[in-house]
Amino acid sequence: MASIHLSGLTKFYGKRRGVEDVSLEVADQEFLTVFGPAGAGKTTTLNLIAGIVTPDGGSIRIGEKTVDALEPADRNVAMVFESYALYPQFTVYQNMAFPLRSPKHRLPTAEVEQRVRHFATMLKIDHLLDRPIQALSNGQRQRTALGRALVRRPDVFLMDEPLSHLDAKLRHSMRAELKEMRGQLGTTTIYVTHDYLEAMSLGDRVAVINQGRILQVGRPEEVYFRPATVEVAQLFGDPEINLVEAKIRGRQASSVRVHALGEEWSFPITPEIGSALDKLTGDSVRLGFRPVDVEVGANGKSSLHGVVYSFEPLGTKSVLTIDSVAGQRIRALVDGRRTFQVDRRIEFGVPGSSVIFFDPESTRYLVRSTRTEGDD
Amino acid sequence: MTSSRSPLARIGKTVQILLLLLYAVFALFPLLWMFIMSIKPDSQMLTTTFIFTPTLENYATVLHSDYMQFFWNNLIVSVAAVLVSLVVGVPAAYALARFQFKLKEDIAFTILSFRFAPEILVILPLYLIYQRLGLYDTYFGLIWVYQLITLPLLIWILRGFFEDISPDIEAAAQLDGYTWWQVFLQVLLPLVKPGLVAAGLLCFIFAWNSFTFPLLLSNNVQTSTVIALRYLASDTVHYGQVAAAAAISALPEVILALLIQKHLVRGLSFGAVKG
Repeated sequence: MASIHLSGLTKFYGKRRGVEDVSLEVADQEFLTVFGPAGAGKTTTLNLIAGIVTPDGGSIRIGEKTVDALEPADRNVAMVFESYALYPQFTVYQNMAFPLRSPKHRLPTAEVEQRVRHFATMLKIDHLLDRPIQALSNGQRQRTALGRALVRRPDVFLMDEPLSHLDAKLRHSMRAELKEMRGQLGTTTIYVTHDYLEAMSLGDRVAVINQGRILQVGRPEEVYFRPATVEVAQLFGDPEINLVEAKIRGRQASSVRVHALGEEWSFPITPEIGSALDKLTGDSVRLGFRPVDVEVGANGKSSLHGVVYSFEPLGTKSVLTIDSVAGQRIRALVDGRRTFQVDRRIEFGVPGSSVIFFDPESTRYLVRSTRTEGDD
Repeated sequence: MTSSRSPLARIGKTVQILLLLLYAVFALFPLLWMFIMSIKPDSQMLTTTFIFTPTLENYATVLHSDYMQFFWNNLIVSVAAVLVSLVVGVPAAYALARFQFKLKEDIAFTILSFRFAPEILVILPLYLIYQRLGLYDTYFGLIWVYQLITLPLLIWILRGFFEDISPDIEAAAQLDGYTWWQVFLQVLLPLVKPGLVAAGLLCFIFAWNSFTFPLLLSNNVQTSTVIALRYLASDTVHYGQVAAAAAISALPEVILALLIQKHLVRGLSFGAVKG
C-alpha cells in the first residue's frame, strides 16, 4: 500500500512525444483512472511508473521511496498488460504462480498453492488452472493476467486497458466485477482506459490525458460536468458534446441573449455565470451542451429551429442530428420511443442550466450553472 | 453426405499418397544408391545394378584405415562451430530483434551477406591470413572460419523467433520479480527452443558438409569430407570405399535429424508462419 507521486515526467521517442511534464498525485488506496484517446501517452505513463521505460526527465516516488534508479523488479509494482503478456509455455496455474516463485517474492510451495487457488476462485478460473494458455478464451486470459498481478500483493497495481479486447457484454460484466474487487483489495491502482464510461465508473478520480499532457484530474462528475477545456469536454460523452460559437447580444441580471446557430435566443443564468461573463474581454463565447440535454420539440423561450438530418434509433435512446439555421449540425439524444422523419422541420431548445461556457480564445472552461449537480 | 463424398475423397487421398511416395523415392534414391554402392565389391561396380554379391569389405577397409580419425576431427570442428555460433548468435539475434540502434538493418544484412560470397572467392586471402596468423591447420582456425557458414544462418532464424515474442512478456516477467538474465533463461529461451533446435541442426549440417574451407585451410587436421576424396586416385577409383565413407559420414546428420525431428518440423514452420 502506497501513494504515488509523479513530478514532471517526460519521455520522448525520438522526436515523437510520449509524455511531457506529467505530474500526478495518487493517494494511498486510491483508484485513479487515466483516460485518453489512442496514442495519448497513457501506456507510456504506466511503463514509466513500472520502470519498463526510462524517462528523459522527471521523478517518480512510490510511498516514501524514490524509485527512479530501481529496476522494475525492485519497485514492487504489478501490472496487467493490454496484451495480457501471459507466458505461453505455461499453464494458468504456472502463470499465476510465476511471480511467487521468483527470487524477489518467493514463498513456500504450500502458500503459493493457497494464494493461487484463492485468487483463481475469486476470478472464477479455478476450474481452468491446469489448462495451457492457448486453450483459453480472451476473457479467461484476461482473468489469468489479472490473477498473476493480484497474487503478489504489490504496493501498486497498474492496469493497461485490461478490458479493451473483450466483447461488449463481457466488458460490462468485468467492469462491474473489477469495481467490486477494488473494494476488497484496497490497493493503490492506476487504471488506463480509452473508454470514458470505464474511466468514470471505476475511478475515484479521473486523469484526462491527450498528446502526452495531462488536461485535467478530478472526480468523474467534475470532469464530466466541468471539463477544464473544450478538448476534455469532447473526449467525454457519446455522442460528442455540441460546441457552438456565440455572440452575446444583451444581458440582464438573470438571463443572457446570444446570437448562435444563426438565431438569436436567450436563456436564464445564475449570478455566478453573470460575473464570469462580465470578465470576458470580447462579446464572443463558446457554448457547450451535451446531446442528452437538448430538448427537441420544446416550445420554451429559447426555441431554435432546424431540420432533421439523420435519425438513429439505439433502443432506449435515439441519436438525432439536426441541421440548424446556420448549417451547423447539432446532436441530440432523445427518448427511444419517439421517432423523427428525416428532413422534417423541428424546434429544439437548450436549457440554460446545461450550458457550459468556454473561453473562445484559450478554449478553457469558464463557468456553468450549478443547478444540475446536487452535491455542490 | 459421406456416401456422395467418400469415393472422391478416397481417390484424392490415394493420389496424394502416391505423389508423396513418388517424392520420397525421388528424395531418398541418392541415399539408397550410395548404400547399394557401398556394399558392392569393386569388381561388380560397373557391371551390374541391383544383382551382385553383397560385401562388407568396403566398410571394413574404411573403418580400419585412419578415416575414423578424420571423422572425429569433423565432429569436433562441427560441434564446436555450432556451440560457438550459439553462444555468439543467440545474444546477437536477440539484440537485432529487440533493440533500436543505428545501422541495425545494415549490420543484420552484412551478417547475412557472408552467406552470399562463394567460399572459393574468399579462400585465397583467408589462406594467406591464416598462414600469417598461424591458424592454418588448427582446430581453432577451422572453427573460426566455419562461423562464416553457421553464424548468419543461426542469427537470421533466431531473430524471427525473438521478434515473435511480445516485449510485454519480458516486461511482465521482470515485474514479477526476475532479473533480466533469469527472464532470458526461464522465459525467452524456452519460447525460442524450436528455433534453436532447427537452426542448430541446419548449422551442424552445413558445418559438417563443408568442403572448401577444410580442403584449403587445413592439412593434418583434416575432415572426413575432404579425406573421402583420397579413394579417388588418378590410377584406381574405389567407388565402394567412397560410398562406404560417405555412408558413415552421413550417419551423424541422419541420427541427429531423427532425434530432433519433432522440434525440427515445428521450428521450421512455426517461425515462417508467424513471422
